[in-house]
Amino acid sequence: MKFLLMIKQVPDTTMINVDENGNLIRTGVPSILDPYCEYALDMINRIKNNEDRIVAVTMGPLQAKEALLRCLELGADEAYLLSDKAFAGADTYATSRTLTAFVNKIAPDYDHIFCGKQAADGDTAQVPAELSRMLCIPQFYYVEGISRDLTGMTVIQNYGDEIRTCKLPHMSLISVSQGDLNRRLPSISMHLEAAKKEIQTLDRVSLGLGIFSVGLKGSKTKIVYSYSPKSEHKCTIIDGTDPSTAAKHILEGIK
Amino acid sequence: MSDCSTCSSGGSCGTNNENGLPPGMLQQYNLNQSTAEDNLVWIETSIIDDKLKVVDVSIELIGKLKNISDSRTIGIIIGDNDVKMLYDDIFAYGIDTLYHVKDKTLATYHPEAYADAIADVANRINPAVILIGGTSRGREVAPRVAAILATGLTADCTELSMNGRALLMTRPAFGGNIIATISCSNFPQMATVRPGTFPMPQPQIGRKGTVMYRQATNNDLKDIISSERKKVIESDISKAKILISLGKGIKKESIAVAERIAAKIGASVSCSRALVDKGWMPQNRQVGQSGRNVAPDVYIAFGISGSIQHKAGIGSAKKIIAVNTDPDAPIKDLCDEFILGNADQILAEMDKMLNS
Repeated sequence: MKFLLMIKQVPDTTMINVDENGNLIRTGVPSILDPYCEYALDMINRIKNNEDRIVAVTMGPLQAKEALLRCLELGADEAYLLSDKAFAGADTYATSRTLTAFVNKIAPDYDHIFCGKQAADGDTAQVPAELSRMLCIPQFYYVEGISRDLTGMTVIQNYGDEIRTCKLPHMSLISVSQGDLNRRLPSISMHLEAAKKEIQTLDRVSLGLGIFSVGLKGSKTKIVYSYSPKSEHKCTIIDGTDPSTAAKHILEGIK
Repeated sequence: MSDCSTCSSGGSCGTNNENGLPPGMLQQYNLNQSTAEDNLVWIETSIIDDKLKVVDVSIELIGKLKNISDSRTIGIIIGDNDVKMLYDDIFAYGIDTLYHVKDKTLATYHPEAYADAIADVANRINPAVILIGGTSRGREVAPRVAAILATGLTADCTELSMNGRALLMTRPAFGGNIIATISCSNFPQMATVRPGTFPMPQPQIGRKGTVMYRQATNNDLKDIISSERKKVIESDISKAKILISLGKGIKKESIAVAERIAAKIGASVSCSRALVDKGWMPQNRQVGQSGRNVAPDVYIAFGISGSIQHKAGIGSAKKIIAVNTDPDAPIKDLCDEFILGNADQILAEMDKMLNS
C-alpha cells in the first residue's frame, strides 16, 4: 500500500514568548514537526508491512525540509516539499487546493491519506476535511486507533460522546488525534539512512497551478486587521511559603 | 459582434461582456453583485440523557444572528421523523424557515452526507452567512461544506459582527497574542463558533415558522461497524462558576485532592494540556486553545505556568488566582493574584480546612 502523510512544520509552541507590546517573538524559536503529524506517522508505522511505502508531503518554506527529514528518520520512504514564493499566505482553502494538486499529479495511486488532527499553531483542523472533499474521498476525523487484517482496515474514532468503529474504504483520509507517548524514536542508523534519501521540491508550475489558485491570492479569507490585546489584570503577588495561610486566603477569596 | 441584440444599436455599441448587456449597465444598476442574503445555521442534534435534543451552541448562534443581522435566519436540521418534536423549540428561539433534510439513514451522523445536505440547502437559498457550532461534529462538517461551496471558513470565532452583508469574524490567532478580524471574499461566508461563546437567547414560546422538507441526495454512506455512546457525566467546565485548574507543576495525588475540594465548594476541576498528554485527565477537562474556553467567576490555576495556548482559554475569567513556585511563570501577566508557593501543599491545606 502507499500511504500519503500530510505534515506541517510549526514553531515549537512551548518556546514562544511575547515582548512587552504583546507581539510574538518568532526569531530564535525552533520549528518542529507538528506533534499530531508524528502521531499519524507512528500510526502508519504500526500497521505497515515491508511492501508498503510512506510518502511524506508538506507545503512550506525551504526550512520545512527539516520536518520532512524528521519523517524520513521516523520511517517515511519518500518526501516532497511543495515550496514556492506564491504559496505564502495561504488559508486552509488555498492550502488544500495545493495539496490536492500534488495528490492528483504526483501520487494519484495512493491507498490512504493520513493527517494530524490539527496544527499546534493554527488549530483550525480544516485542511483534512477540505482536502478529502476536493479529492472526493471519505474522511475519518478524531482517529485514535487503527487495525489491519486480511479483510481490510478498521479505525476507531472518538467524538467525545461517541466511540465509533468504522470500516475503512479504499482511498480514505484519516485524521489522527491521539498517539502513543512512548512511541519509537529514531535510532542512529535510521538517522543516517534518512540523510541519504532525497527530498524533492516542487513549485507552483510543476504542480500545474495558476497564480490565483494558491497562496494569498487563492485564499478565500483575509485578515482585515489585527491587534494585540492588552491584559486588564493587575497582579498582586502574595507570599505562599506558608501553605495554610495561602490556603485560607484562596478559600476566603472564593466566598 | 453580430450576435449582440440586447440593445437598439444592434450590436454596434461594442459590448463584449458575457451577459450581453450594454456597457455600464451592470455598474449602473448594481447588477454585478451577488444576491446572497439570509443567514443559515446548522441545527445540530444530539442524544442527551436518551433524548434527542438540539445542541446548545446551535441556539446560541441563532441568538447571535438575531442580534447582529436583520436578515431572515434559516435553519437546516438533518434526521428522521423524530426530529419533528424539536420544531417548536427551534422556532421559539428565532428560526424563520427550517429546512428538514429527512432520511432514515441520516438519523446517524455521517460527515460526508451531512456536508452534502448543508451545501445542497445553501445552494438553494443562497445565504450570505453560514454558521456552524464548533462541536466535534461541527468542526468536521464545516470545512467539508466550505470545500463544496468553494468558500472561506474561519474557525472558532470569538466575536461576529455584520457590516451590511459582510461578516466580520474575530478570532484569536497565535494562541491569543493577536486578535485578528477576518473577512471572507466569497458568499456564503462561513464560520464556526465554540460552544459557550455567546449567551443563550430567551425563547418566545408559541413563535411559528415554516418547515421545508428536502430529500437527501447522498446514498454512499460509511460502513459503521459499531457505535458506542459515552455518557458525559462530568460537569461541563465551560459553565462552571469556580474552576480549580491543575497543571504540570502538581503531583498526581493532588488530582483527587482537588476533586474533593471542588465537590465541597461547588467548583469543577479542569487542567492544562500537559496533564491530558500525560493521560492523567480526560481531554474534555482541558482548558486552552486546543481544549475549551472557560469563563468562570474565579479561576484558580495550580502549577500552571501559562502557555500562550492556555492563556487564550481563560481570557474571559472574571478573577484569576495562580499558585506557582516559579516567580516568572507567564501566567502572571494575566492573573489578579499570584501566590508564590507549593501547589500540592496548598491544595492539601485547603482540603484539610474544608474537612475540619
